[in-house]
Amino acid sequence: MHTLLPTESDPHRPGLGDSPASIRELVAEASDVAAPVWPLKTFIAANPLQGLEGRPFEMAVQEAERFRQADGRVEAGAEAVNRELIKWCSAFFDEGQATLPMPNRQLGFYRAFADLARFDRRLAASEGGLALPESLPSSPETAIDEALDRLGIAPDRRQDFIRQSLAALPGWSGHVKWRESWQDPAEGRKRPAKLVDYVAVRLVLTRLLWPDAATAEARRIEPPAYLAGLPEAEGRYREGLLARLVPRARSMASNARRRPDAQIVFCIDVRSEPMRRAVEEQGHYETLGFAGFFGLPVKVQGYGDERPHDSCPVLLKAGPLVRETPLGGAPGCIRRNQWGRSLLGLAASSYRWLKYNIATPFALVEILGPWLGLRMLARTFTPGLAAKIAGAVADGIVPPVSTEPCLDEIAPERRADLGESALRAMGLAENLAPLVVLCGHGGRTTNNAYASALDCGACGGNRGGPNARILAAILNDGDVRSTLTARGLKIPTDTLFLAGEHDTTTDRVGIDAPGRADAEQLRRIEQLRNDLAVAGVRCAQGRGRIMGLSAPAIGSAARDAERRSSDWAEVRPEWGLARNAAFIVGPRSLTRDIDLDGRCFLHSYDWEADRSGAILTVILTAPMVVAQWINSQYLFSTLDNVAYGAGSKVTQNITGKMGVMQGNASDLMHGLPLQSVYLADDRPYHEPLRLLAVVYAPRPRIDAIVREQEVLRKLFGNGWVSLACIDPSDDRAYILGREGDWGAAP
Amino acid sequence: MLVSGISRAFRADGLSWVMASLIVFVAGNVLAYSRRYLAGDRDARRHRRDILLLAASMVVMAFADHLLVMLAAWIAGNLLLVRLMIHKGRWRAARASGMLALRAFAAGFVLLAAGLFLLAIGARSASASEIASAPTGGSTATVAGLWLVALAALTQSAAWPFHRWLTSSLNAPTPVSALMHAGIVNGGGFLLARFAPLYLSQAALLHALFVAGAVTATVGSFWKLLQPDLKRMLACSTMGQMGFMLMQCGMGLVAPAVSHLCWHGLFKAYLFLNAGSAVGEKRGDVATSVGSPVGILLAVAGGVLGALAYAATSGLGFGTADTTYVMVGLAFIAAAQLSAGLASGPLSPWKLVASPAAGLFGGGLYGGSVRLVEAALPAPRAAIPPLDAIYVAGFGAIALIWIALNFGLASRLQSTPAWKRLYMTALNGSQPDPRTVTATRAAYQS
Repeated sequence: MHTLLPTESDPHRPGLGDSPASIRELVAEASDVAAPVWPLKTFIAANPLQGLEGRPFEMAVQEAERFRQADGRVEAGAEAVNRELIKWCSAFFDEGQATLPMPNRQLGFYRAFADLARFDRRLAASEGGLALPESLPSSPETAIDEALDRLGIAPDRRQDFIRQSLAALPGWSGHVKWRESWQDPAEGRKRPAKLVDYVAVRLVLTRLLWPDAATAEARRIEPPAYLAGLPEAEGRYREGLLARLVPRARSMASNARRRPDAQIVFCIDVRSEPMRRAVEEQGHYETLGFAGFFGLPVKVQGYGDERPHDSCPVLLKAGPLVRETPLGGAPGCIRRNQWGRSLLGLAASSYRWLKYNIATPFALVEILGPWLGLRMLARTFTPGLAAKIAGAVADGIVPPVSTEPCLDEIAPERRADLGESALRAMGLAENLAPLVVLCGHGGRTTNNAYASALDCGACGGNRGGPNARILAAILNDGDVRSTLTARGLKIPTDTLFLAGEHDTTTDRVGIDAPGRADAEQLRRIEQLRNDLAVAGVRCAQGRGRIMGLSAPAIGSAARDAERRSSDWAEVRPEWGLARNAAFIVGPRSLTRDIDLDGRCFLHSYDWEADRSGAILTVILTAPMVVAQWINSQYLFSTLDNVAYGAGSKVTQNITGKMGVMQGNASDLMHGLPLQSVYLADDRPYHEPLRLLAVVYAPRPRIDAIVREQEVLRKLFGNGWVSLACIDPSDDRAYILGREGDWGAAP
Repeated sequence: MLVSGISRAFRADGLSWVMASLIVFVAGNVLAYSRRYLAGDRDARRHRRDILLLAASMVVMAFADHLLVMLAAWIAGNLLLVRLMIHKGRWRAARASGMLALRAFAAGFVLLAAGLFLLAIGARSASASEIASAPTGGSTATVAGLWLVALAALTQSAAWPFHRWLTSSLNAPTPVSALMHAGIVNGGGFLLARFAPLYLSQAALLHALFVAGAVTATVGSFWKLLQPDLKRMLACSTMGQMGFMLMQCGMGLVAPAVSHLCWHGLFKAYLFLNAGSAVGEKRGDVATSVGSPVGILLAVAGGVLGALAYAATSGLGFGTADTTYVMVGLAFIAAAQLSAGLASGPLSPWKLVASPAAGLFGGGLYGGSVRLVEAALPAPRAAIPPLDAIYVAGFGAIALIWIALNFGLASRLQSTPAWKRLYMTALNGSQPDPRTVTATRAAYQS
């Protein structure tokens, strides 16, 4: 830990000063250095400098740098504090790894710590440990006040000192910040932890293990080298992109749209772009881009899931619960499914009974040793086959059951609202094709701690299929359709909505079987399935080229993708959103037939159908903000993988079932692992660029929105995102300056 | 000349083949796994070469007959492991882990060299097979040699208090951990098995091994239950398993010990290679409390059936009261646990059958696995030690802890000062060496 100024004299004030409220305020103000860190199960990409977005980008980076502990220049005391804090954090924040967890965690982080610390000989044996009283203050606020006092931190330096305390282990403090601001409160109450607790624990440890923390040397800060090259690279990319888009804008056909054979709505995710291009090449298809939760703020519970999960952007509050329930018809099948599941559950439980106990593991390893040896052989040498056999066996024991989403918890009126707003926002209020496929997405990987980072960010780090199924069910519903007709939104009677899911690891797109369809529709669906399969192979080949497959191997690229998906040794199953660079808001005709290299979020938008600008406001303040979170995560994980990324997967160690440490123990390594953004240890794959938003809409409209929305003023004004506009009035490109001024693009 | 030289340096028996098969199997898997897992890693090539060399040195050790060959292979394997463990040379904590292991291995090497030297003097031969088949009783030199070799085995198998290198070894790449836990730590068991005929005549030494093993097994298994991170949990678990293997050696049950080494090696290698899956693994209903009297009755029935099945499939005879009864007791514990789990929750007719049947099945499988390895090993030539107070006490202590855990003692006591003190002592005891912790973010180097 480094203080910025040498300590002044007058460190000791008599008595304790600050009230609990003011201590809480102090911590809240200092907590801008901490950014929330989501648990692995719902890995949400976020800007590691989120709290500093109120400052210009360059200054925020420097500010973060100011508090970093550089290797080799850290005092022994600071290291000891970090080490002990890691011990306490990993014990307290464990989500189910330990069989015998830390006692009395329901008291909260600080209180559970204070309760145990007096039995910790490591603290008693420490130099300052002599001062460890039988009982520490009962409230974290008092503990902070007392510790700051004993450490001799002058009142005007308190905030900075707390800020350093939070920045020392940004992963763990970020996890606490997530708990404080983002976790489901009902879950959080089981083991309460707030930043005040965290700071209290840290400061108690500091006063025991590093009593002279206040006198630490100041550290000189140099701006990180990567800042210099960034604007130039961004300019190059922007110029190249606009040079391709502007001519398209000029030649764009007017609104006369022929009715396509099918419309397929993909998520705005950058991985949709190559897929959309490949599908469009196969036939008379129109593709659209929309946030993959399809505007449904729902909790979903798949058939057989233990508990529901929120399937919407974390910025929204999930509303009604939608369960997948079995379709009627085959009660025998349902019974076999349930029976099979309890059988597998029993087998898994038996394993746990023997494994997490005393004496019984000795027999367990001998019972299972031969079997696991064979599985190891199969999964290592024939991963694809092993996965197929395992899948077939599982299907044999638990026969799959067809299900449908149960919409009972969504009132009929609300269903119509959701359907209408989704159609209007997607630009599908008119000219609907006979088939409309709503296509969610998810990755499918094996033995991958970061699996949920590959799923749909708009669905809170979950697969997007369930949301697609819900919207399709709503829009196929006769009552909803008649309500919508009454509201002036007529869905043609021959239009059928289908749900699908894009497996981004293998580029296969699965389409659900329709509830009912006529022969013509079935023919169209069959055709579409074939075309999607061809498109998937195209995409896999393109990806194979990126993965460095040799020319002859490209032919079997689809097989290689399957292998990556099921290989337990694979550290780069897919590239996720790596190389993301731009967020394009406009009609597909603006980007159609342009190879955007899988680097662009594409959001469909028709400025002429949005007179009020309400739709554009939502696009810029919700999906674009999510894109910015993702973009900054990739940016910083690439620029400095040690400070903001998770390090190499080769030595990662999952802790508490929720995060990753490096090796024996470390900070909670937030951000993306090296393998997600680097081709090799020293060859980045992701090109670090701040997000470029390109909007096809009149400038005055954009101006009005930016003026209104604080988040946009912050992001554009501080250089976290740059905004380009292609103005339909003159089909020229303009760039928004940080002062809010437009300049013509070069 | 050369051929006879080689034939004197090497000798193949059942133990050699079993150990060599294990190492070749695991190393082959690890190599194939690493080819993808370390793709793009700047030191991937060196890593693979070192794995090959390590496997080769361990195969040499398995077949070595000349003590010098054995010693050379031993140290070569250990040094290669240290280099494999460090892997990321710029990462301070990884270097520290390597150095910690190196110190433990160096001590083990000195002990082993001295021990083998004394054995050679005692038997006037440098051939392991001749030494092992020498008439029992033995000179002072032989006895001292056996003690030293046993100590070397304890360091290699991470027995308490020599465990620190293993519980601090998780800065190593995942495949190296897999190989380490399935290979190098077995070195201790291999040594004891190699000179087993001599050990069987040393009652005091056997008792010492048993006690060291029992302490290690208890400490390791208990630490394992506290660990919040996956890899350290696996390391503590290995420590416990090695403790159990040493207990088996201490009971003179060499073949079951070798069987345990092999199956544990495969089991643990698999869990390490699968370490990325921990997030999705479901937990929750770990059986920590037994239910109704009927449930207890069913558990006991299942335990008895399992113990009988174990005895039958592993080919034990129920003759004089020797240490094999401890193994039967452990089979009882495992089978009873299975049955208790199945009997938990509301009682229904199928459980009355399924619960004891699970115990029977589990015990039978356990015995079958032991038998499989035992069949490949040479038959023991000395009598198995009788069951005495020390063995009974060791087993009894472990059984009592097992019963206490099953009655939910841990969660009932969690608010008492005694439990808190025990928890903190165990948590601190299982922490890695401070130098091997990556205390600051910037100290990590990929």
